[in-house]
Amino acid sequence: MSSIPSEPQASTLPRAEGGKYLVFRLGLESYGVNVLNVRHIIRMLEITPVPRMAPYVRGVINLRGKVIPMIDLRLKFGLGEAEIGERTCTLVVETDAAHGGKALTGLIVDSVVGVDLIAASDIDHAPDFGAKLQTDHILGMAGSHGIVKALLNIDHVVSADGIHPVPHAHKS
Amino acid sequence: MAAELDDRPLTIDVENDRDLLHEFVLESHEHLARIEQETLILEENPTEATTLNAMFAAFHTFKGTSGLLNLLPIKDLSHELESLLDLARQNKILMTSVMIDLVLEGKDILKKCILQIEEQLKGNKGAPITLSTRDLSQRLHSVIHEAAAVNTVAPATPPGPSQALPSPRAPQAAKQVTDRAMVRVDIHKLDAMVDFVGELVVAHSLVKQDVSHLAAQSERTRRNLSQLAYITGELQRLTLSMRMVPIRPTFQKMQRLVRDLAARAGKHVQLILTGEGTEFDRTLVEAISDPILHMVRNSIDHGIEKPEARLAAGKPEMGSIHLKAFHKAGYVHIEINDDGAGLDKERILRKAVERGLVAPDAHPGEQEIFQLIFSAGLSTAETVSDISGRGVGMDVVRRNVEKLRGKIDIKSAPGRGSTFTITLPLTLAIIDGLLIGVGPERYIIPTLSVRESFRPTPAMISTVQGKGEMVTVRGHLSPLLRLYEHFGIAPLSTNPFESIVVRVESDQQDRCLLVDRLLGKQQVVIKSLGDSYQKNTHLAGAAILGDGRVGLILDINSLVKLKKETE
Repeated sequence: MSSIPSEPQASTLPRAEGGKYLVFRLGLESYGVNVLNVRHIIRMLEITPVPRMAPYVRGVINLRGKVIPMIDLRLKFGLGEAEIGERTCTLVVETDAAHGGKALTGLIVDSVVGVDLIAASDIDHAPDFGAKLQTDHILGMAGSHGIVKALLNIDHVVSADGIHPVPHAHKS
Repeated sequence: MAAELDDRPLTIDVENDRDLLHEFVLESHEHLARIEQETLILEENPTEATTLNAMFAAFHTFKGTSGLLNLLPIKDLSHELESLLDLARQNKILMTSVMIDLVLEGKDILKKCILQIEEQLKGNKGAPITLSTRDLSQRLHSVIHEAAAVNTVAPATPPGPSQALPSPRAPQAAKQVTDRAMVRVDIHKLDAMVDFVGELVVAHSLVKQDVSHLAAQSERTRRNLSQLAYITGELQRLTLSMRMVPIRPTFQKMQRLVRDLAARAGKHVQLILTGEGTEFDRTLVEAISDPILHMVRNSIDHGIEKPEARLAAGKPEMGSIHLKAFHKAGYVHIEINDDGAGLDKERILRKAVERGLVAPDAHPGEQEIFQLIFSAGLSTAETVSDISGRGVGMDVVRRNVEKLRGKIDIKSAPGRGSTFTITLPLTLAIIDGLLIGVGPERYIIPTLSVRESFRPTPAMISTVQGKGEMVTVRGHLSPLLRLYEHFGIAPLSTNPFESIVVRVESDQQDRCLLVDRLLGKQQVVIKSLGDSYQKNTHLAGAAILGDGRVGLILDINSLVKLKKETE
């Protein structure tokens, strides 16, 4: 899966469909998440850190009585840490949980741009980004309105496999 | 009719009928449970009209729904059983124990079938579902014929299910089944409601703090606030009670088990139930069912003697097992009492020494010997039967009960019987926690695991080669775990003499945790951390603290066992 040839192999690989995408920014780059996966956009709440986890797992928050994990997308994608600013916010996304049911996860992003209607014809396969950004996370690239957006495979980004405890991270 | 029922595969249309099938499976479980309970009443009183009507109605509904879904083998089988019950409720035949057994057998076949449908609905493609009903339906036929021939009450009625028409009489009977109006609610909705109410309680306490100066000036505000506090409290109590269900179905399942096992073991046993209405947390009821089953099985196999041995000992031939549930001191108790032979202390000890579980020169006390029966690999049954005696089971019972944060006590007198008491917390949703501080972070330790906490003196802490730091508590050495180090947090102090040691215990092992501060005791509602953190074994869950922030609950069991990994 590390590189996707441009031949039409779409039958076996998940592919982005046309539709409404919530567009947000991490640094200079734009990303899109299918709006159907986005449950809330909230300001930053106080995070309780969970020890012995990878750095991009910032901890958990109390979302109206529910405890949900928080993932820092900048760190997850290797874009380097940023200060929490005025426009930093949390996207709460809903995905299928491993044991049935739905799971909520908070994603920390730099800013939310808005909702874009993206036609299927505007979506290309994800190119090979090399090691820095796993292509598994990307369903496709959309180039409408002059900005290139990476459309995320949100189930993959927040899958439990992607969150690992660090066995001896802090052993002195 | 019999030929038609010859092991036909059952075809279900998962694609089109998903919702209907799902509903059918849910309903069926209720009907089957109901049928099972009613059968036991029927055994005592085979002419009990309400029971016969209820069972008839249950099979009739079964028949109707399965017909609608084109589940023909199920429909035919329930039709035959319904016909038998129809004759019985019209007093045309008398239900014999043979017939009751047949009904139970039919119920089991239906149950197996429903479970298979349930699997397929979950997407597990299994082998096609087949029902072997021919044998049963032939026996049903012959039993009905025999009964009708003997019985002169209705000589003119040609019996047999093939003649019995699908009856339109059922609606009246069905009405009698529902004694209380119930609504089935999606468990996720209920959980969401509990979450919101928890949030309401926190929001309420925040608002109360914010307007406290107002309340001090205005009688009206004060009154309204206390009214709000009352409503919030009641609402919380009510939502938590919605998760509570009576233990009755679990207990009644045991009736069947006792009946079958006693017959197989050649013993006479009666089961007496008390406190079936005692309410437990729903998840607790599910989890405790297996341990109870094992213990009852154990009582029949090891506790109750054979009839001749009982008579020789001057006891009634019929042995009794008393299953009791009750609330006491904030806990729920389940008591399993038998009037059998009691535990044989000498034999248990001998076996334990043979198996190397106890040193030959040790002299354990009575309770310690009794607790040995929960060790893996110890069975005092002289012969291995198919009921129990392989030495597996009782250790699983203890492990399961401990997992539910409960314990088992044993009382036993030779020749007089044994009493096992399982003590469990009222609910799995709420625990008493000790709130501790490490650096800027707060964690919750379940109070049940905490033995003591103290500020250590320099004399108490020593470093043992190869084992790391140890704390000496009243002559006992306990390994020290610096939580800040383990969790990678900057502490208030790295000096143990300025910190607090909390000694925790799990599974008869203990460990001292070094923390910065004790922040108090608090009841917390346990929330799952979800799939994302399931690999983080040092945490048992999370809870919303009084200020609305999340606090993490430590998994003491894994922290206590940690030393083995790091050594």
